[in-house]
Amino acid sequence: MHAILDSLAMIGVSYIMGFLFYGFYRQLNARVQRRWGPSIWQNFFDNMKFFFKSETLVHGPMFFFGPMIIMAGAFTTVLFVPFLKDSNWLQGYSQYGNLILIIYLLVVGPLGNALAVGSSGNPFGVMGVTRGLTRLMGLEVPFFLGLGLVMLQHETTSVHAIMAAQDGLAHWGIVTNPIAFCVILLPFIASQNGSPFDVVGAPVEVYAGPRVEFGGRLLGVLMTQNMMMSIAKLVLVTDLFLGGATNILVLILKAFALFVLTTAVSMVFPRLRTEQAVDFFWKVPLGLGVLGVILTVWLPWSA
Amino acid sequence: MSLILKLFFFAVSLSPTALLMGWDGHLTWTLLDGVGLSLTLTPLAAFFLLLLALAAPLVALPMLRRPADWPSLALYAALLAGMQLLLLAGDFVSFFIGWEIMTWSSYLLLLRSPRTEMATSQSYILFNLASAFLLLAGIMVFYGLTGSFDIRPLVGPTQPQQLALALLFGLAFLIKVGTLPLHIWVPRSYDEAPDIFSAFLSAAISKMGVYGMILLLTLFPEALTGLYGRLLNGPAAGYLLAWVGVITAIVATYKAISQEDMKRLLAYSSIAQVGYITTAVGVGSSLALGGALYLALVHTLVKLLLFISVAGIVLQTGQRRFNDLGRLIERMPISFFGVLIGIIGLAGMPPLPGFAAKYLVFVSLVDARWLLLLAAMILSSTAAFIYCYKLIYAPFLGHANSAGAREAKEAPWPYLVPQVILMALLFGLGVFPGFAIEVLIDPVLTALRMAPLGGSSWAVLTTAYGGYDGVVLMSVFVTAFVLVTGLFLLLRGRMRRAGSPYDLSYAGEVPTEETPLHYGAGMGRELRRIPLVGWILRHSSQGFYLGLTRQMRAAAGLLGGFYAGNPQTWILLAVVVFAVVLGLQAVTGGI
Repeated sequence: MHAILDSLAMIGVSYIMGFLFYGFYRQLNARVQRRWGPSIWQNFFDNMKFFFKSETLVHGPMFFFGPMIIMAGAFTTVLFVPFLKDSNWLQGYSQYGNLILIIYLLVVGPLGNALAVGSSGNPFGVMGVTRGLTRLMGLEVPFFLGLGLVMLQHETTSVHAIMAAQDGLAHWGIVTNPIAFCVILLPFIASQNGSPFDVVGAPVEVYAGPRVEFGGRLLGVLMTQNMMMSIAKLVLVTDLFLGGATNILVLILKAFALFVLTTAVSMVFPRLRTEQAVDFFWKVPLGLGVLGVILTVWLPWSA
Repeated sequence: MSLILKLFFFAVSLSPTALLMGWDGHLTWTLLDGVGLSLTLTPLAAFFLLLLALAAPLVALPMLRRPADWPSLALYAALLAGMQLLLLAGDFVSFFIGWEIMTWSSYLLLLRSPRTEMATSQSYILFNLASAFLLLAGIMVFYGLTGSFDIRPLVGPTQPQQLALALLFGLAFLIKVGTLPLHIWVPRSYDEAPDIFSAFLSAAISKMGVYGMILLLTLFPEALTGLYGRLLNGPAAGYLLAWVGVITAIVATYKAISQEDMKRLLAYSSIAQVGYITTAVGVGSSLALGGALYLALVHTLVKLLLFISVAGIVLQTGQRRFNDLGRLIERMPISFFGVLIGIIGLAGMPPLPGFAAKYLVFVSLVDARWLLLLAAMILSSTAAFIYCYKLIYAPFLGHANSAGAREAKEAPWPYLVPQVILMALLFGLGVFPGFAIEVLIDPVLTALRMAPLGGSSWAVLTTAYGGYDGVVLMSVFVTAFVLVTGLFLLLRGRMRRAGSPYDLSYAGEVPTEETPLHYGAGMGRELRRIPLVGWILRHSSQGFYLGLTRQMRAAAGLLGGFYAGNPQTWILLAVVVFAVVLGLQAVTGGI
């Protein structure tokens, strides 16, 4: 019973945080561009509008199951990320998983959806998937290296143990391992599909995006999973670098701070092409990561 | 008659299973004075015998389909016998005999394909003979050191002795597993071999190289650490081997992405996967070796599944290039699921066992503190998603691009039965990641005097760094999937199937049958614009081998100068050599 309630709570929390954060993003973006912008609830309204469309076009069974897989992947990911520490609530099934598993789970859904995109028969959609996979290949290398530094620092892959080790501001990951945080920050923005790495399915290039064929309720599913997945990633980074949270308010505050930091980067820089993004990841964040490895692992004082 | 022969052949293909179940003992047979064959089954060999026992009948089944190619079947039986001898060998003489039978029978089987070109078969036999001769040289060195052919750890070897053995044996086995730059024979022969036999080449024969590598480590008292000490938290000699493996994996992955033929893509992906195994062997810790064995198991299952599915596609459509296929999902649904499960396992996605294997290797790299290797391995294992997607998109999704693909039917049952069995095995191993650890891998690790990895139950994979629960993972995912689909269907509104395959949002235009809508082989072409990937794809080891050929020719020409046609020159040379030898002997006091 507790497990069911807890799971439902986690899914609800991530959904509500998702549409509020993105609503805030649209407001903030508009103000930076000197527009009024939509209300903070706009993402929720949009999402509901999609869910209650009277007609949905499908291109065969696999096309229908792709969004279901991605949604199931989003639920599973959310349930394997611990939202709070020292608490019975909002834990989901996180004690049965670990950091590497979560990183892989983040990819399961999108790959399932890629099957649906291929099944639609639209070459632009497949082009978008290829771009997405290429960007993933670029960002995962520095991202994983940064996480590797964290795993090495705490000698565990368990998110719970990493959170537990960060009691007090002086032990936060961002303080004890700032290089790792810098290494993962930009790939993290890319994994959130944020500018300047948002060429996959970018708003004005919708004809080359993976979502080109989806409409109606299926698009609603894709939108929902995107918001939930973003929250799962924000919470994960909060757990690893910002000491986790003991209650829901602290969690929202920390995740929001991180969100503002990433959106601030997103709003300033123009979009990169896929190959530019990959090349950038392999030069700057990866270079920094290699430097981090040399400083913390190879040099004599690190042992 | 033919039925009886076929039944007999199928019984032969079950012989590794019978051997695995029934063997308990030790057989010796004296050849010469002091030299004998000794057959015994160590836990390490039993693990690889299990892989063989899995692969042999599953490959035999589609081979038996009419019209049966009798010479192929006979050669396959010889090949199985050779491999079993190789695995049972307790001494290097029987090991070498088994190795040679394997090499020759697989070579002759390769020639049974009408597609095999001269250059392919020559490179296959050349590299494999080089491997065999290196092995023979290694065996001679070993005999020189111990005075016996028995496979057992060396006692107090010096560093040069260990180095000589490691180089000779290591090169022999690295040729077999096909690491860079010794891989050049692999893609061609996997591609051109008979379609079903490719599955066996990739799944079983390449594993013999892995068996050899692990066997080599057991010869040294301190494994790789004894060679050059330790680097960070792992063996320094293994660091080199691990980089060889990872670079092989990266290069082969990009080559796989750029292939336009299904079997060649799978061939490169085999090279990449065995590259991971090489890396894990290089790390050498208990976690890493567990990971290496796990990867070997998963790779065997996955490559059997993929090669057999692809063979079915080639059989039914007559096409093997990505450009000529498409939209087979509705015509060959079981093969679609076969390839789907195969690529999920290949990409190392949870909840299939590929993830468990990769997890062990990743954790072992963190444990050894070799983080740069970890990043490099992530690079190739993420890039692998692209070729995995290509492998499922181009044949099964998109639009049909040839008459063969438009009219194909599902593959015949001898192709489907192995696929279904393999899918079930992969699924089962994924839900119970601890089963393979506890039942298959821990006995090997214990025999190698390493810490076993087994956890509290078959459902969990545990390490000192944390683990995960396969049953919980699978149940959460399946429950979420069922709930989401159910809720979706409960929402009001109706679903409508698109009127035609050309009913697409196509940049404001209406595509027709003539519009090129299949992305096929073009996928991954844009990767060349990334500088590093472009550099890798522009280069190949072909140039290195052409250069080597030129140098060999020049050296032969130089040597040929001594073999002048004139007998007087010969006699003069002989006298000079004789005089020099005598002179040297006199100076060193030999006379």
